[in-house]
Amino acid sequence: MPEAHPLTPNVDWVELTTTAADWDAADPGLLRTMLVQMQVIRSFEEAVLELAGAGLVHGPAHSSIGQEGGAVGSAIDMRPGDGVNGTHRGHHQFLAKAMSYLARGNGGRMDPGKPVSPELQKLLQRTLAEILGLEQGFSRGRGGSMHLQWLEAGALGTNAIVGGGVPLAAGNAWAQRHTDAGAGSSDLTATYFGDGATNIGSSLETMNLAAAWKLPLLFFIENNLYAVSTHVADVTGESRLSGRGPGFGIRSWRVDGMDPLAVYLATEQAAEHMRAGHGPALIEAQVYRFFHQNGPFPGSAFGYRSKAEEKAWRERDPILRVAEELLRRGLMDGEAISAMTTVIDAACAEAVAALTEQDPESAKERRRIRPELWPDPSFVDVGIRGDGSELASARTAEAETFVGELAERRFIDAVADVMGARMDADESIVVLGEDVHRLKGGTNGATRGLVDAHPDRVLGTPIAENAFTGLAGGMAMDGRYKPVIEFMYADFMWVAADQLFNQIGKSRHMFGDQGTMPVVLRSKVAMGTGYGSQHSMDPAGVFATQPGWRIVAPSTPFDYVGAMNTALALNDPVIIIEHVDLYSSTGVSPVSDFDHHLELGKAAVRREGSELTVLTYLAMVAPALAAAEESQLDTEVIDLRWLDRASIDWDTIGTSIKKTNNVLIVEQGARGTSYGDWLSDEIQRRYFDYLDSPIQRVTGAESSPSISKVLERAAFTGREEINAALATAATNLGR
Amino acid sequence: MATLVKMPAIVADADSAFLAAWLKSVGQTVAIGEPLAEIETEKATVEMEADTAGVVARLLVSPGIDVEVGTPIAVIAAESDDDAAIDALLAAAGAVPEPALAGAPSPGESDPWPQAPSNPADRAPAAPRVFSSPLARRLARELEVDLAVLVGTGPSGRILRQDVEAAAACSTPVAEPPAPEQPATEPDALAEGTERIELTRMRQVIARRLTESKTTVPHFYLTVDVRMDELLGLRKQINAGAPRKITVNDLVVRAMALALSEVPEANSTWDGDAIIRHRHADISVAIATETGLLTPIARRVESTSISKLSATIADYAQRAHAGKIRPEELAGGTFTVSNLGMFGTKEFSAILNPPQAGILAVGAAEPRPVVNDGELSVATVMTCTLSADHRVIDGAVAARLMRVFKERIEHPLSILL
Repeated sequence: MPEAHPLTPNVDWVELTTTAADWDAADPGLLRTMLVQMQVIRSFEEAVLELAGAGLVHGPAHSSIGQEGGAVGSAIDMRPGDGVNGTHRGHHQFLAKAMSYLARGNGGRMDPGKPVSPELQKLLQRTLAEILGLEQGFSRGRGGSMHLQWLEAGALGTNAIVGGGVPLAAGNAWAQRHTDAGAGSSDLTATYFGDGATNIGSSLETMNLAAAWKLPLLFFIENNLYAVSTHVADVTGESRLSGRGPGFGIRSWRVDGMDPLAVYLATEQAAEHMRAGHGPALIEAQVYRFFHQNGPFPGSAFGYRSKAEEKAWRERDPILRVAEELLRRGLMDGEAISAMTTVIDAACAEAVAALTEQDPESAKERRRIRPELWPDPSFVDVGIRGDGSELASARTAEAETFVGELAERRFIDAVADVMGARMDADESIVVLGEDVHRLKGGTNGATRGLVDAHPDRVLGTPIAENAFTGLAGGMAMDGRYKPVIEFMYADFMWVAADQLFNQIGKSRHMFGDQGTMPVVLRSKVAMGTGYGSQHSMDPAGVFATQPGWRIVAPSTPFDYVGAMNTALALNDPVIIIEHVDLYSSTGVSPVSDFDHHLELGKAAVRREGSELTVLTYLAMVAPALAAAEESQLDTEVIDLRWLDRASIDWDTIGTSIKKTNNVLIVEQGARGTSYGDWLSDEIQRRYFDYLDSPIQRVTGAESSPSISKVLERAAFTGREEINAALATAATNLGR
Repeated sequence: MATLVKMPAIVADADSAFLAAWLKSVGQTVAIGEPLAEIETEKATVEMEADTAGVVARLLVSPGIDVEVGTPIAVIAAESDDDAAIDALLAAAGAVPEPALAGAPSPGESDPWPQAPSNPADRAPAAPRVFSSPLARRLARELEVDLAVLVGTGPSGRILRQDVEAAAACSTPVAEPPAPEQPATEPDALAEGTERIELTRMRQVIARRLTESKTTVPHFYLTVDVRMDELLGLRKQINAGAPRKITVNDLVVRAMALALSEVPEANSTWDGDAIIRHRHADISVAIATETGLLTPIARRVESTSISKLSATIADYAQRAHAGKIRPEELAGGTFTVSNLGMFGTKEFSAILNPPQAGILAVGAAEPRPVVNDGELSVATVMTCTLSADHRVIDGAVAARLMRVFKERIEHPLSILL
């Protein structure tokens, strides 16, 4: 008979409840401020619902009515440097953090006698404008209800992907910990999410990562019991959601979210823990949204909860609770509370009036958005990426014109050399990825020597691409550190797709071009190594479909050095695509001066010709050049280098096509995700009248490369396929 | 997916526009930006360019009629579209094609415009599809090579650049004008003190037509001096007490119309494989406006009284400056008179206005020394130069025309009869 020894978590997991004594001891200013802030949120949300009912909110209006106690109780004493982010239901968290920021000159306290300052009035109007999609909103109307961001106030941006903002918050916390750690009291970040998001990978991966790296990150779970209409007990075996924390080594609290003081006291304890450098904390606040997921009807109207349940929760309204305590302690009388509410309601009505007007064309006296407040449609694509002006003073060079010392070097050494040079020169650069700190420079030697020189800035990550990619994104948004992520294999982008494409790629544009996203991602193509279907893709084609990302694919060690420098200098997310075949190749590379930049948007004509233009990149440049030597046609070979829509070199491509009138696009990987799809489309659009034959393509097979050496070779392209395509091109010209 | 082409509002506020000619026929491919039709508005004839690329599947109206703006006039289809898809599109748009025009012409039906006899040059016989590369098609346009007669060396007989260039090299003994290049200077690269003026549609049409005329029509020129004293004297008598003044130009126009009646070989136009001889002298009168040259037509001038002709021309002049010339007033015409005498120009030669075969350039009437019976004296003399299309009019015919014209001017009473 084996023996069973009970195990317990290494950290505390407690339920914190308040007593009458706690309420008696609470600072009167704190309670009054809670009342003001919760009422502001409540009145604001009621105004939003009214506008939604009138059809003036385009898209969803996720009301936080009923949940004010969690947001206000946790954010009320946050510092300006603390950060918050949240999910689609985030108006209350956004307003709570913003109000505490506005009250920073007054110790974070607000006066119920004068609850609405001009700054608060402006906040209400700008927030409402954003929710309505108007130019004067924080993100110029781009973000709307689900993407509220005010970086100055520490509101990092709410998120419409469940759990999507959690890794980003970890990046902010990483920057805080590494900036403020010396003082023993760092700023912190709170990431708010609901019961629904406790079951998604992003949140759970981030809990693990934050605990591993002791980040001052508060996981604040607003457990309102329903993910839309699905009850929490239906979808998890442990519906005490604060139980998620201890398994990761995170100190955890459960509190009644309808009791703002309980939330406040738990947050106070958690903040002390986090600011002291002991790592993350988790608070589960049990709250209740009085309405359905979105819109002005209660959940019972949709049949997934009862009116009795709603009534019981409404009786525990956090605003009533605080008001009762203030009355009981004689800190405010009913008249004062009523007067305060009247003033706040009027402020919300003023914000509504500033943005809407009577519709002159409506017989039923409907209101409409004031037409002049809409953003200009020409703003649609502004801010997808920067304009590259940050490179204005960058020294660009080509190998042919480089003035420093050059020598024949291995490609992989150039990779490590330039990163070493940059990390030596710039203390903000942080390298993170799987095994980057071990194995003498990761699996390929690309990070050789870095961890010895910079142990704090070379971070071996858990195998959790979504979390560490998002963490890098949050770091980049903060701006104090510049992350360089490594994906061991490009296929892992699918694992991190939400963070790469929904978050990092869209962030700058979605939040109205208010911030930047300087993330560098290094990722290798491993076709030919026998790693099979899930480790062999070329990511260029997929990244090219994703706005925001810049793509560079250097084919020589010299260009790699320049490409990394340009990528690091850019304020946009950049993927640098590498290839295992190139790692062991050699070429001229700088010996000691690793500071030149590859000119943004500049392709290289590697071989001049007059009859056919071959467009290619990365590991296909060399075989294309070799094949061109044997072609019947006088073939020009262009190494594209920059591949994304904004950075591709149309000048060089266009000049060549107008000269040769024939195009062959050469790439190695599978057809479905191939890069040349969009390129050939764009070429026929731009140069139709210059084409003397159909645009030719060389790609791999439909399948992903298999493990079997023969099948793998059959799935990608090489010299033979390029030769065949060149022959077809000659046939097309009657040769 | 098939696209409905609607009659555009070429001029703001215009309710309708005149479809002058189709430049594509059913079954032909059309690229974005390629001219699809010629549309005449009150101000000018413009080429309507295709907004979508594809194959012309249907032409819904015949040329030569006024079409309300917004009316579907054609369907451009993708290769994947079948007749059913096109019919569905038309049904959805509520467009009912003219029965004679619906669908592609059958192989034996060479003339898709049975009820539009006005301009045989626009007839597009149904031809088998010629495979050619986009570049070959562009070069063929620029080098004026007919793709239909070439044999392509590409796959499936596709005509390539090399085929067009070879054809152009052996078929044009005369040096071709260089293909029009994109302007070498970008707007921001203009030299100081210069200004770039974008072409209006009207200016584009003028440029295209006159370039075509000057480079493809074999012009020749005849100049005569005519004595004007009698005509001026007669005009003075007529105008004395007349409510509206007859102009010298009115008399010149009528004199030429009468000359054309007398020399009917000269009252002809060029039609590619035939010469069209006209019974009536329909004279295009060149009127310079701020936006460019307009040539409204005075019809049947040989049988129009001078006072009525004068009123017509005066009305044209007034409306031309107001931009109110109607499209039908610009269509047709057998001969043009262009008068720069009022600017003091002594003489000039004009570029023909195809398919017309003659244009008269009229200079200023001015006192000049002349010899009468061996005696030097002063007379009022006007120099007129005829430009003629040698394909239509031979030198002797042109000389006869100008002799008759000169007689009419110098014995002006006949102009009034």
